[in-house]
Amino acid sequence: MPMPSSARPPVLVIAEQRAGSLNPVTWETVAAAQVIGGPISVALAGAGLAGAATELASADVSEVLVVEDPALERYTPDGFIAALAQVIERERPGLVLFPHTYQTRDYAPALASRLGRVLIPDCVGATARDGGLVLLRPMFQGKFVAEVAPAGDGPHCVSFQIGAWRADAAARGGAAATRAVPVTIDAAAIRQRPEEPFQEAKQAVDLTQAERIVAVGRGIKGQEHLPLAQELARSLGAELAASRPICDSGWLPMDRQIGSSGQTVSPKLYVALGISGAIQHLVGMKGARTIVAVNKDADAPIFEVADYGIVGDLFEVVPALVAALGE
Amino acid sequence: MLVVGGGPAGLAAAYRLATRHRTVGGEPPVVAVLEKSREPGAHMLSGAVLDPSALADLMPDWQSRGAPVAVPVTEDRIYFLTERRRIPFPITPPPLRNHGNYVISLNRLVRWLAEQVEAAGVDLFAGFAGAELLYEGDRVVGVRTGDRGVDREGNRKAAFEPGVDIRARVTVLADGVRGNLTKTLVERFGLDDGRLPQVYAVGIKELWEVPSGRLPAGAVIHTMGYPLPHEQFGGGFLYALPDGALSVGFVAGLDYRDPGFDPHTAFQRFKRHPLVADLLAGGEMVRYGAKALPEGGWHAVPRCHVDGALIVGDAAGFLNSMRLKGIHLAMQSGMAAADAALEAVRANDASAERLAQYAALVESGPIRRELHPVRNVHQAFAGGLLPGLLYSGLSLVTGGWWIRDPMPAHAGHTRLRRVAGGEPAAAAVPVDRRLTFDKLTNVHYSGTRHDEDQPSHLLVQDTDICRTRCREEYGNPCTRFCPAAVYEMVDAEAGGQRLQINASNCVHCKTCDIMDPYQIIDWVPPEGGGGPRYEGM
Repeated sequence: MPMPSSARPPVLVIAEQRAGSLNPVTWETVAAAQVIGGPISVALAGAGLAGAATELASADVSEVLVVEDPALERYTPDGFIAALAQVIERERPGLVLFPHTYQTRDYAPALASRLGRVLIPDCVGATARDGGLVLLRPMFQGKFVAEVAPAGDGPHCVSFQIGAWRADAAARGGAAATRAVPVTIDAAAIRQRPEEPFQEAKQAVDLTQAERIVAVGRGIKGQEHLPLAQELARSLGAELAASRPICDSGWLPMDRQIGSSGQTVSPKLYVALGISGAIQHLVGMKGARTIVAVNKDADAPIFEVADYGIVGDLFEVVPALVAALGE
Repeated sequence: MLVVGGGPAGLAAAYRLATRHRTVGGEPPVVAVLEKSREPGAHMLSGAVLDPSALADLMPDWQSRGAPVAVPVTEDRIYFLTERRRIPFPITPPPLRNHGNYVISLNRLVRWLAEQVEAAGVDLFAGFAGAELLYEGDRVVGVRTGDRGVDREGNRKAAFEPGVDIRARVTVLADGVRGNLTKTLVERFGLDDGRLPQVYAVGIKELWEVPSGRLPAGAVIHTMGYPLPHEQFGGGFLYALPDGALSVGFVAGLDYRDPGFDPHTAFQRFKRHPLVADLLAGGEMVRYGAKALPEGGWHAVPRCHVDGALIVGDAAGFLNSMRLKGIHLAMQSGMAAADAALEAVRANDASAERLAQYAALVESGPIRRELHPVRNVHQAFAGGLLPGLLYSGLSLVTGGWWIRDPMPAHAGHTRLRRVAGGEPAAAAVPVDRRLTFDKLTNVHYSGTRHDEDQPSHLLVQDTDICRTRCREEYGNPCTRFCPAAVYEMVDAEAGGQRLQINASNCVHCKTCDIMDPYQIIDWVPPEGGGGPRYEGM
């Protein structure tokens, strides 16, 4: 690599974006194209693409093709196949490269078949042999790597496994020209009606990233007392978390549970309020840099790991802490 | 053919099914095993001292295949304990002589057995529990596995996978002591009609690493007496493995009368006895677990064959409580069931009449030979330690004869005595987290994991009873008999108390299903793969 100049057909990279923001995996495919060599164009399809197009133009490629159409605002396989088939037929690249994303899996096989070609999916590398391109493709769950040499005329459609190329290896610095490529899409011919995108497992909080955590245990006694701990968390700029019984009772959502059946955290500051310190909880937080424990029971195991321990009633201690922090 | 449960009985059945054609000819059958633990053997816990006779019958070349059965018993000791003293038995009674037996880790043996079974061509599906039996009319035709990916309110999560129906010509139920499928089968067909009620015990065990020189590998110690009162069945054990590994355990009959009794506390008190404390001093507890065991013996075994299904192992109750052994009988029953099942399938007749050949094999083989002479022993212990010991001695001479045979017995939970209002006196024990531990800390060392966001697998039919009747009558014994701190009575918002079930602590011992005085706790399998993760136990 790179390949001899005689074997350098024009390469078209299909970028991926959602709501105008570029999927960074696109850069991996750009990097692949740069290694394979040849004049490179990047096609970006959608609506409201100005920002993403500018970002792509920083790549060391010849051209960024902007395929704007209101019908492409939300992804549909029918819309994208219609648009990209027109682009490919007009530009006549020898090679079309895709990042192997869920979206690519959804439409690229049909697009290739629309062009009368096959898709060589999920490749992990490319190499030159006898003046031609050979693609590397894992088989049998990665036990073998097959070498696939596309035969006949282009365009050959290839998708690359995510992580197969390094995004930061994509050469920048070219001021690529941006060109709008008009397409005609019959909106009525699009059979899919996408709904609002939604996230199924919504992770409201990532405690593993929190620098400070205030955690409550059974000592808090009832859900109605949680605002007390919330106030301390606010004063400290901390996230609120809990031991298992609190989340099990539904007083706080389960993604705020610390311990062996919840999250493992290592914040700079961990304040344990009314937590006895069962080993199941300790394994989830003993990596914290500074541990402050408030508990009525001086024999509670939490004091064995605490850097600062306050033996006392949290209903007296916490308001005092909040007051002191407010000063 | 389907085997439900990958313990010694189930795996012996599967191995026999898969290899029987080598001796009797014909085509090998298609055999699958379902096992609820994530990895084979992870829910296996026993003392354990193994009588290798059944393993030799199943696999004559077990030694050259590298079975993890390598520590012969070198000495047997029995002590009667008082609070501070130990009184050695002058002679070791013949049933407790372990010459020729081995000290083993059952979960390692089962893991190895699972490898042999898979190598013999059996499909072993670990992480799948049998949730219910499938019937056509009154014929068992297979098993439905549990749904996965259901949240605690019973809603389907994103990763929901419905259970699958696995149909089989013969289903071998090896679901262990108080097996959830066996329980429903016995109830449906009244398979225990005319039999004695099964009586159980719970065994609690810790694996320790102790400084060298404490006990030679292969030493076996059994104790009676302290901390149990004379009228209560149970005792302690210490089995020495190489490299300072020591199994320490306590077995308590689940037919005790005092609702304040806590088997876990009794175990802690046992460890504080000088005999045990001296052996453990300076050592470290590395694993914990608990499991119920069927003690009722021959007269408590239900009918084990119905149309399309057989019951084997602890699920059936094949355990010799006088020898404190059941692994070999479990394996024998698995083999007998396999032979009967294979012939039935080849004759294209899996009816109960045909499968009754299993009962005939049990009657004519090593199981009856061993269990029948000691058929009344456990029942005799219901009268206390002394009558139990006297009868045990007598039965060695008489072959188990007694004036009333079977000697009458009662289900253990019916013996629980009511307390006159409020809390029974529960003996506390100091917890130093070196020698003695609280339940929650112990549970951590069982490696138990369950997805928190799933329905409770402990079904309590009426939790009102907990805060009203049970509180008054027995002081909520579930908070004590459970060795894993699953059950708690906590203050309710509306005043009074309510039952809190910490199902994710459950070590699958089945004690609650057995001992609950109102019989309203139903243990059903949690999402497959959940449960303890025993290692070296």
